[in-house]
Amino acid sequence: MTWKPSTIAFFVLPALAVYGLFVIYPTFSGLLLSLTDSKGVGQGQFIGLANYARMLEDSQVRTALLNTVIYTVLVTFFQNALGLGLAVWLGNMPELRNSLRVVFLLPSMLSMLVVGFIWSYLFSPLGGPINEMLQALGLGSLKRVWLGDPGIALFSIVGVHVWMYLGHSTAIFLAGYLGLPSELRDSAAIDGATGWVRFWRVEWPLLAPATTVAVTLTLLGSSKTFELPFVLTRGGPGDATMLSSLTVFQNAFAGERFGYATAIALVTLVGVVIISNVVSSALRRREQLI
Amino acid sequence: MIVSLSRQAPVRRAKRRGRQWVSIIALLILSLVYLAPLLFAVIVSFKSQLEVSVSPLALPERLQIENYTSVFAKMNYWRSLLNTLGITFAVAVCVTLIAPLAAYPLARISNRSTRLIYQIFAAGLVIPFFAAMVPLYGLMKTLGLVNTYPGVILIYVALNLPLAVFFYTSFIQTVPRELEEAAALDGCSPLATFWFILLPLLRPVTGTLVMFVAMSVWNDFLLPLVFLFRAEARTIMVSVYSFVGEYGFDPTSLFPAVILASLPMLVLFAFLSRQIVAGITAGAVKG
Repeated sequence: MTWKPSTIAFFVLPALAVYGLFVIYPTFSGLLLSLTDSKGVGQGQFIGLANYARMLEDSQVRTALLNTVIYTVLVTFFQNALGLGLAVWLGNMPELRNSLRVVFLLPSMLSMLVVGFIWSYLFSPLGGPINEMLQALGLGSLKRVWLGDPGIALFSIVGVHVWMYLGHSTAIFLAGYLGLPSELRDSAAIDGATGWVRFWRVEWPLLAPATTVAVTLTLLGSSKTFELPFVLTRGGPGDATMLSSLTVFQNAFAGERFGYATAIALVTLVGVVIISNVVSSALRRREQLI
Repeated sequence: MIVSLSRQAPVRRAKRRGRQWVSIIALLILSLVYLAPLLFAVIVSFKSQLEVSVSPLALPERLQIENYTSVFAKMNYWRSLLNTLGITFAVAVCVTLIAPLAAYPLARISNRSTRLIYQIFAAGLVIPFFAAMVPLYGLMKTLGLVNTYPGVILIYVALNLPLAVFFYTSFIQTVPRELEEAAALDGCSPLATFWFILLPLLRPVTGTLVMFVAMSVWNDFLLPLVFLFRAEARTIMVSVYSFVGEYGFDPTSLFPAVILASLPMLVLFAFLSRQIVAGITAGAVKG
């Protein structure tokens, strides 16, 4: 079939126009906005790099960026490590595999807002089910103020996130695991490789494509978390659970500092793009080794 | 040698089956613990206020259906359900129409401009919504689209396009060209070929995509919080949020509210879990 340039334009233009106007244009116009002191509508005064300089002084923003890195790393690691373990376990349980895969996906069908509300109740320090349960099991010494203690609040939220999306990583690794050629496993068994050795030497390297997908998706997904700290802690206590998305939201819509909020958003975006590119290209290189 | 083998085999098999049983029971306990927070939410939603404070871990003595009926009216359930359904439907129709349209030449022609356009779409996969949110708010204000349905629908379409174009392009690349070439020989224009030949072939992708769009719109909160906050236009999650803000964290109204809000997606999941799993795992196996 011959494609005239005008035909191609006709096909591509509707999507490109909507996407360009509502995603690409705002992202790039944000560069200009971040150089102003805009307070909402209107241009605002050009103030050069003052917003970026201010970020260095702003302890809330520094904490938010650091927390976002910690949060993303912890969620990505635990969600995928546990997901991988669960996937291998389910992979060897043909009777239960399909029904349990659905069970573990159930929380991810909910809204993050809903999950936040459910856990805000479970975590409540007085009469909250988690603390009550620990008490009932004779583990009263493990009772905590889960969301009020600055030392553990961020980890509590990481736990909720991992609980919510564990099924995603499990499903991805399970699909990869079931896709492994069965002859390979048999020949490994004949060579005497069993258990851990077989997993680390044979199966884990072959799961490289699944690992790339699971890790990249988790990384991108967790770095933009908003609803969980918004509902559970509002970024507190202090700034212990402040994340980038939340500080952007608060600076823009509570503080009416649009220029400043955009600067924070862009710094986060650049960080996310760089990290996800480095990680996913490293993971893809690993795929080449198969 | 043969004798000893035949003597040991049943023992080994029995041992293996025993281990299998332990494994099954452990997995079942684990999944029960995993679902405990959700089960707990359901149980509490049927309790009375007194029962919640006196015996937080016990089952309700009588199902308090009133918890649900009172929440139903207070959070304006039907209205926000309809709002969300309408937005979801409009977004799904737009995305599944313009995304394959764009993906068709991107999949079939490889030159510098199509590759660049594809890259631009792919870049959208890593841009989080909050990064574009603030300047987008200024743009929507200028266009008079803040607090309107078309405004929110357009943003959702734009945000869903990268994944959709990516899905459709890679799928179309696996569709053999012969059909299209035969159609072209018969004098079919590219648009007619797209509409009559290609689009029907894309149905499986479209099905998966519609589910993703539905989930992302239904469960979203930040976007409608910023762009659609007037009371009668609220989506379901914004309704839940403002309901909780107004009536507090009382679990006997909080849990019915979150369960009612989640029910449609859980029903969808109950019927289409296999397709949802297929969508999540797309790309996990090297093709």
